[in-house]
Amino acid sequence: MTKGKKTRSPSAHCHTDEITCERLVMEALYDFEEGTMPETERALLERHLGLCPPCVRFLDSYRATGKTLRALKPRDIPPSLAQTVFQFVKERCGKKR
Amino acid sequence: MDGVSAPSDLDLVRRIKAGDERALEQMIERYHARVYSLSYGVLRNAEDAEESTQDTFLTLYRKIGTFDESKKFFSWFYRVALNQAYSRARRRKPAARISIQEHLPRFHNDGHLAGPDWADASVAIESEASARELARRAEEFIGELPRTYRDVIWMADVEEMPAAQVAEVLGISIPALKSRLHRARLHVRQRLAEISRPARRAVPREAAG
Repeated sequence: MTKGKKTRSPSAHCHTDEITCERLVMEALYDFEEGTMPETERALLERHLGLCPPCVRFLDSYRATGKTLRALKPRDIPPSLAQTVFQFVKERCGKKR
Repeated sequence: MDGVSAPSDLDLVRRIKAGDERALEQMIERYHARVYSLSYGVLRNAEDAEESTQDTFLTLYRKIGTFDESKKFFSWFYRVALNQAYSRARRRKPAARISIQEHLPRFHNDGHLAGPDWADASVAIESEASARELARRAEEFIGELPRTYRDVIWMADVEEMPAAQVAEVLGISIPALKSRLHRARLHVRQRLAEISRPARRAVPREAAG
């Protein structure tokens, strides 16, 4: 699964503008998603997306990845953890450091 | 009237330095869940995360005299928590590492995407069972990243900390943070896409005599 050598594309569906899929995915997607991209560049990307179903699917999967990551945050914090930690520190340090 | 506002981190730090036990208790109450979650991101094990949380607050109590009050407390303290967790992780087992280059999107010569595609991604995360499985695998894929990428994606995307805070904790610039975070996301997305592909290669080989 190495990035490895590149091959010829089987189709050229989105060759009508200066944004390639590679540039969109590797360089521009972060700012596009974070809303930190200048409007002119954003318009170029949106135009590319309008012509390129694989990039639309990629964007969709990038967003799905983000949603999956946000769901990872541990929610089952042990209920007595704060008290356990406090006792742990007190037992080891007593009243003085 | 309940007009008393919560003490600032710095107020608590100064009171802990002065030996105020109640301030320590308040600091633990304020930060224990975040420290636990951060530790879990490194250790991926509830028991280890709990013990690392205890050690982090013990270190806080012992080292608080060295904290420079002109700096932000949370970034100093998060570094303490990360160091505790990594220290525990090193004692536990050697970390399996892969190069970030191994699982990034691939492209044809002309810059077109070369896959793997993940066409049903948005559908997959709508189903509770498959979303849970994806989350389990995503956690595993974060775990195989080098630390420089793992800390960034855990804090920014899992913990949802603001980019500026993550950059401050890790002592890196915002452009460096963006670059690492994007590549880490691409890695996890690529790995999830790989496992979501139709199992063409899962056809069992003929039994060899």
